[in-house]
Amino acid sequence: MGRAIVITSGKGGVGKTTTTANLGAALAALGHTVVLVDADIGLRNLDVVMGLENRIVYHVVDAIQGKCTVQKALIKDRRMENLWLLPASQTDDKDAVTPEDMRSLIFELKTTHDFVLIDCPAGIEQGFKNAIAGADDAIVVATPEVSSIRDADRVVGLLAAADITAQLIVNRISPKLVSRGDMLSKNDVIEILALEMLGAIPLDDQVIATTNKGVPAVLEGKSLAAKEFLRIAKKIAGLEVERESVGFFTRIGRALGLSATPA
Amino acid sequence: MPTRGLGLLWGTKYMDSSNALAKPPEEEVPAAILRGTARGLEIVIEAKRSIASIASEVLERLDEAPAFFKGSDVRVRVVDGPLPTGCLARLDEIAEMFELRIVEVTASAVPEPNLATGSAPQAIEEPPAEPVVVELEVVAPEPAPVVVAPPPAIVPPPIVTPGTRVFVGPVRSGVILDHVGHLFVFGDVNPGAEVRATGNIIVLGRLRGTAHAGIGQDVGFILALRLEPQQLRIGRQVARASDSDKPASEPELAYGTGGGIIVERYAGKLPRNLVTSI
Repeated sequence: MGRAIVITSGKGGVGKTTTTANLGAALAALGHTVVLVDADIGLRNLDVVMGLENRIVYHVVDAIQGKCTVQKALIKDRRMENLWLLPASQTDDKDAVTPEDMRSLIFELKTTHDFVLIDCPAGIEQGFKNAIAGADDAIVVATPEVSSIRDADRVVGLLAAADITAQLIVNRISPKLVSRGDMLSKNDVIEILALEMLGAIPLDDQVIATTNKGVPAVLEGKSLAAKEFLRIAKKIAGLEVERESVGFFTRIGRALGLSATPA
Repeated sequence: MPTRGLGLLWGTKYMDSSNALAKPPEEEVPAAILRGTARGLEIVIEAKRSIASIASEVLERLDEAPAFFKGSDVRVRVVDGPLPTGCLARLDEIAEMFELRIVEVTASAVPEPNLATGSAPQAIEEPPAEPVVVELEVVAPEPAPVVVAPPPAIVPPPIVTPGTRVFVGPVRSGVILDHVGHLFVFGDVNPGAEVRATGNIIVLGRLRGTAHAGIGQDVGFILALRLEPQQLRIGRQVARASDSDKPASEPELAYGTGGGIIVERYAGKLPRNLVTSI
């Protein structure tokens, strides 16, 4: 039985879809069978980011309404054998499905795939409730901006009420701005949200470029962001993670067992 | 829907349960009432009853559907006085038997408050989100024969005294904590959250949301390890953070005077006029 993870944020435009695409590709590259579910019904994006939009025949609403089997609605990725996409419908709205529908759909996908990544729409209304319905865990994406963090905080509370534990990815960190004191640091964000941290994705032009080409950055070259996505994917898959870029003293400290290493 | 004033609420979830308590006829009050809420199981305990009768009542109710609540969180509410000594230990045992977890104990000296507002409630007006899921029938007022003898009183005294609520945070955006009595929060109160109490508020963490202490009173204070609120309200006075405020670096105390709210460094001592508010 696979594991279903919802990627959510509350606020829009912080990188949920990009994160979903890249983590999916990275997990697939690690050899897992992965299906990405676009739960943003009416505003589908994930297919574009994956470069699969012109292959869509059936979508998630068709599968739920029984117009086709779930397996038939899945689109296989162009580049990878073990990566699949279940696209959203572009013509329906969020009320076209119910949380119960989603729960049984995700359950079915979990029987055939190792990882089910659910791309959640922005907001905390019906679409959000649908997206989290079948999830075992959640990844909350936040950018180092107060508005994003405020929304993330609210979402974490809602997830907790639904008994879903959340982990955090901080997206679009700019080391330069942080060191100048013009941006919240990774630690600031963790401190405010009090969540376990999966990783911090640096602000990276490569991600924008590859996303527009319909290729997840992970599959294209060696950008810093791609490396971090891969590291996070390993963490999710429960693999030993190579060191983060840590300082000399931190490493010594870890060797002596003084600080907790990320497991 | 008319809601009561300041109940023991967390968000809206407790609203129904506290309503249900309203006015049961004197004799028919069982020692313990169990009900399912959206957040798990709630046990309401009549503090005046004996431990044995409370325990047997709880056991009996749980026995009716032993599997139903398995693994859920239990919140214990004590009404009409403090929890009898040894009772919590007994409840813990029972909880273990049924694989339950007691996560919170609340006590209230005055279960039917509406202190400040008389009859016109003006507290939280929200539609009940998911009110009561299950309502176990409460019929038998007479406790069944005692099953197990109560354990000796070796438990340390509970932290919770009547009228004080302890909440383990963080209190996240969108959450309203509302309490009759004093309120203790371990952890941060995040921006967008609101903590309100008729008594005093103590936050062992950063207070960055809104706090309202001393609702319906003249005195009251708010104490936080880091006081960086969006807004402070004490009694009928309101203060908002000035736009240029620097992050707090030490514990601070806010209290109301006739002329406004004063914030000062907390050096381990309360001003004399506040001592009476405890």
